[in-house]
Amino acid sequence: MIKTRRKIGFHLLLKSRFWLILLFGALLFGIRWTKGAGYLDFYSVLLEPILPGTAQREWIQQGEKIEKTIRLKLLEEDNIRLRRALSLQEFNIDRRISAAVIARSSNSWWQQLEINKGAKDGILKGQTVIGPGGLIGLIDNTTLLTSRVRLLTDPGHKIGALIDRTQRHGVLTGMGTNRPKLIFLNKNSLAKIGDAVITSPASTVLPPNLIIGIVQFVDEKALPSPYAIVQLTASPEAIDWVQVLKNND
Amino acid sequence: MIRNKKKLSIFLAIICLPSLIISSPDWLEINGISPCWPVIYLLPLSLAYSPWVSALFAILLGIYIDSFTVGDVSYIPSLFLLSLFWSQYELHNKKIELFLNIGLMSIFGTAVVGISLWVQKIILYSTLRNKWFHSWSIYVLIAEIIITGLVAPFFSSWLLFTYKKNN
Repeated sequence: MIKTRRKIGFHLLLKSRFWLILLFGALLFGIRWTKGAGYLDFYSVLLEPILPGTAQREWIQQGEKIEKTIRLKLLEEDNIRLRRALSLQEFNIDRRISAAVIARSSNSWWQQLEINKGAKDGILKGQTVIGPGGLIGLIDNTTLLTSRVRLLTDPGHKIGALIDRTQRHGVLTGMGTNRPKLIFLNKNSLAKIGDAVITSPASTVLPPNLIIGIVQFVDEKALPSPYAIVQLTASPEAIDWVQVLKNND
Repeated sequence: MIRNKKKLSIFLAIICLPSLIISSPDWLEINGISPCWPVIYLLPLSLAYSPWVSALFAILLGIYIDSFTVGDVSYIPSLFLLSLFWSQYELHNKKIELFLNIGLMSIFGTAVVGISLWVQKIILYSTLRNKWFHSWSIYVLIAEIIITGLVAPFFSSWLLFTYKKNN
C-alpha cells in the first residue's frame, strides 16, 4: 500500500512543473553568481564579425594625436604666459631655422659642426642648436652664409642643466667623448640611471625644458661634488639637419 | 715657367688645406679622426727652408688653422717648436727621398701637436682630474698619430719633391 503510494507520488512529481521551476531557479542563480558572464561571452562572440576594425583604431589614434597636439599648444601658450608673468626670457620654439650640416668634426680635438645658414639668415652667436632628439650645441660664430656650432661634447663647453625627476641643477661639461659630464651643485644629487636631463626652466640663456640626454652613470661619492655621465639623446655624429632656435628679441 | 709652377703648387696647397680640414673625407679617417694636416703641410716646408722662414710659416699656418676651430686652444706653440726642430736638419741642400723618415717625423710632429693641445685644454678648462677627458685624449692622440703616419709619407713627400724641383 505504502509502496504504491510512493510510486504514485514520484510519478506526480515528475509529471508536475516542479523540475522546470527548479532548473529555471538554478539558471538564475548561476547567472547571478557569475554576474552574467555567459551572456556577455555569448554577446561578444555574436558581435565579433561587426566589431570596429583596424581602420577605426587608426581613426581613434589619429584623434588622440590631434588632441595631444592641441593640448601641447595650449600648454605652450600657458607656459609663455607664465614665463612672461615671471619676467623670464621668452623663447618661441616656432621661430626656428632649419640648416644642413656641411662639415663635421665630432671625434677629434674639436667637436664642432658647420651649417649652411649664417648671419644673412638671422643666426647670431649663442643661439641654441637642436637636432632630432634634443639639444646638440650652441652657435659659436657666424659668417655671412655659414655658422659654426660648438657641440655640447666639446671639452670646456659648459651649460646649465637639470635632472627632471629630482629638480637638481648641475653644470653639463663636455669631455670630448659622446657623453658629457653633469657636475651637480648639491651634495646629494639623488640622480638615478635613466633620469632625463633637460635645460633649466629658469635659464635665461637656453630655451627651457629642452631634452639633453639620459643619465648613464652616477658617482655620488665623487669630490668635491657628485657627478653623472649623460648620454645625449641627439647624436651629432649622425645628424645631417639641425634647427637653430631664434630668440624673441 | 718653373717659378709659376711653384706658385701654382703653393696656391693649390693653400686652397686644399682648409677644404681637407673642413670636409675631412671619410676615407682618410680612423674612427672619425682625420690626419693632422698642419703637420703634413709644415713638415716639407720646414725641411726645405731655413729656420726663420719655416718658423714664420709655422706661425702663419697656426693662425690660419686656428680660425677653423672652436675654443681658445691653439696650434701655434707646437707648430712653432716643430718648425724650429725640423729646420735644424738642414736637409734643404741634401737629397731627402726618405719615404719612411717623413712618416716617422710626422708621427713625432703629430704627437707633439696632440700633447700640446692636450696640455692647453688641461690648463684652460681645468680638466687635470677628469679621467674621462684623459682617456678620450689618449684615444684621439693615438688615432691621429696612426693616420698621420700613414698619410704623411704620400702628401709631405709630394710637397717636398715639388719644392725641391722648383728651387
